[in-house]
Order: sequence, then C-alpha cells, then structure tokens
Amino acid sequence: MSELEQRMSVDAAPHLLASLTDVTKSVHVGFRRRLVTILRGVDLELRPGEVFGLIGPNGAGKTTTVKVLLGLMRPTTGEVMLGLEGLQEVGYLPENPYFYDYLSGREFLSFCGRLFGLDVGERRSRTERLLRDVGLEEAAGVHLRKYSKGMLQRIGIAQALINDPQLVLLDEPMTGLDPVGRLEVKRIIQRLHGDGRTVLFNSHILADVEELCTRLGVMEAGRIVWTGAVEEALAESPEGLESFFMRVVGQWQPETSAGVTP
Amino acid sequence: MAARDIRRGDAVRQIIAIALNTFRETVRDRVLTVIVLFALVMIVGGLWLGSISLEQQGRMMKDFGLVTVTAFGVIIAAFIAATLVRKEVEKRTVFVVFSKPVSRAAFVVGKFLGLAATLGVVIGGMGLFLFVMTWLVGGGASGMVLAATGLIYLQVLAVVAVVVFFSTVTSAILASMLGLGVFVAGQLSHNVLSLSRLGEGAVTEAVSWVVFVIIPNFNAVDVKAAVVGEMTIDWAAVALWGLYLMAYMVVALGAAAWVMRRKEF
Repeated sequence: MSELEQRMSVDAAPHLLASLTDVTKSVHVGFRRRLVTILRGVDLELRPGEVFGLIGPNGAGKTTTVKVLLGLMRPTTGEVMLGLEGLQEVGYLPENPYFYDYLSGREFLSFCGRLFGLDVGERRSRTERLLRDVGLEEAAGVHLRKYSKGMLQRIGIAQALINDPQLVLLDEPMTGLDPVGRLEVKRIIQRLHGDGRTVLFNSHILADVEELCTRLGVMEAGRIVWTGAVEEALAESPEGLESFFMRVVGQWQPETSAGVTP
Repeated sequence: MAARDIRRGDAVRQIIAIALNTFRETVRDRVLTVIVLFALVMIVGGLWLGSISLEQQGRMMKDFGLVTVTAFGVIIAAFIAATLVRKEVEKRTVFVVFSKPVSRAAFVVGKFLGLAATLGVVIGGMGLFLFVMTWLVGGGASGMVLAATGLIYLQVLAVVAVVVFFSTVTSAILASMLGLGVFVAGQLSHNVLSLSRLGEGAVTEAVSWVVFVIIPNFNAVDVKAAVVGEMTIDWAAVALWGLYLMAYMVVALGAAAWVMRRKEF
C-alpha cells in the first residue's frame, strides 16, 4: 500500500473525520543540513460538525500540522488519517495566499472547480454563489494581481469552498482583513458550522476562536499541549482565552527549543 | 494512489484545466507580448538585409526569419518554462493545487501542455508572418517555411520539457541556462560524434556516444538550411528523429513528475 493510500485509510474510527496520531516531522535545513524537528508527537482528532481552533505562538507547528494532514508534507513518524473521500471533500485556505496574477477571480474559482471535476453548470453556479458570499461579485472579472490582500483572502476562502467540502482547513483566515471582511469570514464559518461541516482554523486572534470554536487545541513547540471544549478553557480561566492561553503555554516546559516552520 | 482520490477520468480533466490555466497565464503576460513584437520587428528586418544582398531578398528573408523564429522560440521556452513550476512553488500556489486531489504528474503534464499551446500560438504566428513576408518578396517555396517552423516548434517543445525537468531540481535561472545549454549542445552533438570517430581513443568515442544519446539531436530535425537553399530533405529521417525528440520529451517530463512526487511543500 502506498504512503498516500495509508494516509487516506478509512479504517479509522467512524466518528473521526481526520486524525493525526503521534505525528513527528523533522526537516533538514541550511547548507549543513541541520536536522530541525517541527512536530514532536502531535495527536489531533477532528470530529464531524465541530469548529476546531488551533492556537499557538509563531513557530509552534500549526501550519505544518495542517500541511501534514493535507499531504503537502509527509510525517517522519506517526499516522495520518483523512476519512471520507480524501482530498475530494477537503477545502484549504493557505496562510498569506497568493494566486495566479493573470486570472480573474471568476476564472480562478472555475479553475479550482475543474480540479475537483465539477461539470460546467455546477462550476458556474457555485462560482457565482461563492463570489456573492465573499462579496467579490463586482471584482469577479478583475485580474487577481489587482486584488488587495483582503480580497485575495476572500477569494482564497471561496476557492476552499468550491467543492462544497465536509472538512475546511483555514490557516489564519482573518489575516489582512478589515473589520467588514472579518465579519464576512466569521459568518461563513458560522454558516459552515450550521450546515454540519467541520472546520479547523489556525489563528492568533483569540477573540475569534472564543466566538467561533466549539473545541480548541493549544500548540507549543511542536506538540498539542491542551485540547478541550472552549467552555472548559473558559471554566479554567474565567478571565478569558488570552489568560488561559498564556497559562497553558507558560506552564508547559518544552524539552528542547521550539521548532521552526520552513 | 487511492483510486477514489484521483480518478483516471478526472486526471485528464485536471490536465486540461491546468493546461488552460497555464495558457491563460502565459499568453496574458506582457513580457511575452513585448518579446513577440520584437521578434516580428526582427523578421521585418530581414527585408533590409535582403535589400543589401543582390537578388537574394527572398532567400535572406527566409534565412534570417527562420533563425529569428528559432532564437526567440527557444528563449521564450527556456525562460518561461523555468518559471512554470518554480514560480508555483515559490509563490506557493502549489498549496492550492496540491491540497486538491491533483496528482503531481497531472500538474507537470498540464503545465507543459499549457506552455506548448502558448508557444504554438507564438511560433505559429511568427511562422505565418514569415510565410506572408516571404511570399510578398517572392522568395519561392514559401510553403516549406511553414514546415521548417513546425520542426522549430518541435525542438522548442523539447527545450521546454528539459527546462521543466531542470526547474524541479534547481533554480529558475539555472534551469533556463541549462536548457539553453542543452539546445546549443543538441545542435552540435552530431559533430561531436563525427569528430570522435576521426580519433583513435575508444574512451573518447564512448564518451561522445553518451553525449550523443543524452543530449537531444536537434540538428537532425533542423531543416532551415535545406529550406533556404531549396535542397532535398529526407523526410523519413526527419520523421524518425522527430519521434526520438517526442520520446525524449516523455522521459524528461516523466523525470520531472517523479521529482515532484517526492517533493514536500
């Protein structure tokens, strides 16, 4: 069985949509090929219908965790399970997305739809609906190189939803957005949650996590050091998620220095 | 790869999607427009060269024009092909593509076909322009100009395949340089073989054979001189070497896909 087939195994527990079990990831960096460990035994379970917030300081390994889940990076050790129909039912927004300069927003969404094998009618209707949902109807024919950072973020979210995915992975979805843009993204996440979709998003904005998530994981130095319901976190720290986060990260003593994201 | 993840029918549709996307991206690039306009001006410049060569205007037009089509075709191929894959990695658009059920091989083939379509438009356009110009100055046998242009296109596609492979293992600029190097070496590889036979060193001859096999023999499908000089062309030999170039492209793209499959992003 190939590595990817193992990754896409559906033998795992049916109540899980995706999981990482004791995943480590090490990479060689620099001219002297120094070995740097980014993930140090990550355990993560994503359950159907939940909005999971992954929070942690820069370099904690949040983005790498998502990349390993998607197969953009291979785990050094550990198991990755992505259920359902594999990537066919996953949507992903990368951090600081950059897209094709000379395509219009509409062409880009249509291109993404083609990659999922959507037929012409389905592609057109979903493209127009998503353009409306993310507020880019008027800029639909404009080349992406003329989009602002916020507009790129919104078209990025639209492409992540073109396949009507069961699992949506959003890496820092609020970055670069103005208050109106943030509100629109929040509404999209809430709508996805209402539709029973599973959402995982990385964020530094704890207020958004508190508002949107049903469960959260705190990541530090390549490990998820705390997982639980948002209510549990707030019960432990009634002052709010910020103090909870600082307490969890402060309490946890890494064995070695923090990893870096290549 | 899991059958339900990347279905075969979908792979073809994905290749078409990526090729169409690449075609749109490259054909809309203003740098390409500037290069093509410059090439057309150069072809028109053949008129001036013809005017200073007694009774040779048509011949000069064909000669200068075909060299211009080759030079600009290879330059466009080498520099755009090098950025095809590399730019997607550096600007991280691969995250968007590979987070969808798209195979790395489909990505490489789609990219190649997209640029092949762009180059088809560019080289075809230049060839047609040269054909009309040659016809206007009464150069004769101008239909052969189109045949020569078609074979230039084949050579340029081989350069694209080679550069796409190099771009998966090295930087864009180095990939371009290596691609241009392979093209120049490919024009000379048959000479290397001929020269080695004149000597007595078995090692030299063996090395020459290796070079001859590794470097595509572009000269074998280059009919520019024959078209300009209105000489007889051995089309059977040209067709055979054309098939060899196509096989070379398949191997180069296969190697590129193999490298991409092992890459992490």
